[in-house]
Amino acid sequence: MSRNKPSLRPAISGDGVGGRLRYFVSRALLNIRQNVLVNVLTIGTITLALLIVSLFLLVFVNLESTADTWSGKIQVTAYFDTEPTPQELAAILSGVRAIDGTDKVGYVSKQEAMKRFRSRLKGQETLLDGVPADVLPSSIEITLKRKTREDAAMEAYVAKLRKVPGITEVQYGEEWVRRFNAFLNFLRFVGALLGGFLLLAVLFIVSNTIKLTIYARKEEIEVMELVGATRFFIKAPFLIEGIIQGAAGAILALVILVATYFGFLHSATNFVSLSSSVTGLSFLPPIYVAGIFVSGIVLGFLGSITSLRRFINNPQ
Amino acid sequence: MEGLTANGSVPRGNPATHAAARKEDTMIQFHNVFMSYQRDAAALNDVTLKVPKGDFVFVTGPSGAGKSTLLKLVYAALTPSRGEVLVDGQNITRLTRTQIPLLRRSIGVVFQDFKLLPNRTVLENVAITLEVLGWSRRDIGKKVYHVLKQMGIEHKINATPLRLSGGEQQRVALARALVNEPKILLADEPTGNLDDENKEQILSIFREANIRGTTVVVATHDRRVIENSHRRVVVLDKGRVAEDTDVPE
Repeated sequence: MSRNKPSLRPAISGDGVGGRLRYFVSRALLNIRQNVLVNVLTIGTITLALLIVSLFLLVFVNLESTADTWSGKIQVTAYFDTEPTPQELAAILSGVRAIDGTDKVGYVSKQEAMKRFRSRLKGQETLLDGVPADVLPSSIEITLKRKTREDAAMEAYVAKLRKVPGITEVQYGEEWVRRFNAFLNFLRFVGALLGGFLLLAVLFIVSNTIKLTIYARKEEIEVMELVGATRFFIKAPFLIEGIIQGAAGAILALVILVATYFGFLHSATNFVSLSSSVTGLSFLPPIYVAGIFVSGIVLGFLGSITSLRRFINNPQ
Repeated sequence: MEGLTANGSVPRGNPATHAAARKEDTMIQFHNVFMSYQRDAAALNDVTLKVPKGDFVFVTGPSGAGKSTLLKLVYAALTPSRGEVLVDGQNITRLTRTQIPLLRRSIGVVFQDFKLLPNRTVLENVAITLEVLGWSRRDIGKKVYHVLKQMGIEHKINATPLRLSGGEQQRVALARALVNEPKILLADEPTGNLDDENKEQILSIFREANIRGTTVVVATHDRRVIENSHRRVVVLDKGRVAEDTDVPE
């Protein structure tokens, strides 16, 4: 009989990185099966947490997009004293287009201006009887790119515009733009504040739930340490379990979000009539959906890794 | 058989000590070990002790004498406040965090409360030891069955621990400790929860492991177990070695 010779390790079918990974994944899946209740609790918490964040994002993204639609209506109008010749107009237009931040430029002739004025006085057109057709100045109307719609950028843009030869006056409703931008900044601030608090609450709840579930299995960790498992060997199945829980929680949250959206929020024009252009909430862009899925995975992984740190002991 | 060198005078960290430990085939060696959990209360107080390879030692003493602390120092669950602990010639007080698991793979440990995982089967409980070593599933199945058969509980291989009697649970715990044929078997009050018949069965498993070459250290305060075993007995009292007796077989 061999007297206490250390065991020769038999041929190992699952050696190498792939073999170890297979072992850890199967261990994690087995752990989930053997601790169903604990896993349901964790996945449920992650689902609820991500669902709350997703709904918040949905509302916030829609508010942002409505504000963006409104800000698209910000227009700068440059007036001419005299009607420019086609050559002069072409030069002015190319000068305006060359200014950084210009999106679209449209020319409004004296006749076009009078036509618009007349249509606004619908029913009272007689007021304009005897008024010459060229009494209104010709102008160009400029819509701006998004980055130029902020206060300071807009002022700088207008200053450049005034320098374009042929332009005598520029109007852009300074006060309205200022107020609108202040509102947008407030919206973003409140969004960031609420989002930040929500994120902290979610992190706190999820990490504590995972901590509790790992605490419930601290005996398992103790036994693994006792039989000589390395820290990595102990941690790996828990981390994979955390990733699976996070991914499952994220998928469930997204499924519930889609169901809520198509069943309820999709045609919610009557209570979200922020403007006539809004026809119900639009769904989250794909990048946000991907972000929520990745957040679930990261949440599960980080929740597990921080909790494990407490339960894998060093010698005292 | 090597006895206790009470108040041994081997200086700490002396390389000659390590060489001597190997030369004398010593498996476990304590040099002037102090261990205190709090500033005033010393769990171990200047303990010097040698356990040769293949020895079978009982460590006894009243509650709080330091029996469990002594065992924990051997498998590096604790590091001593002062002094050195050598296991198979290796100074384990200097092990790094990554070296401790390697030490534990050569030590089997059993406890009074068995420490079995209740939601895993007997097979899975015992297999943990071999999974850690990287054995394949098929080899693990064969080896675990073989060990459980030696313990007479192979028919319980798919049962969960809660369906087993105390004696059966302790045998599963022993199977987990012995399945990789460790150099050392440590047992902390292994018969505390068992009746006389089961105590005898468990002790016979210890004896068999010892015959195969495993060094066995059993901490117990059960005088009857010690008296019937005719083995070396180390008595601890208030953290000190009060007595070290070789009982002739």
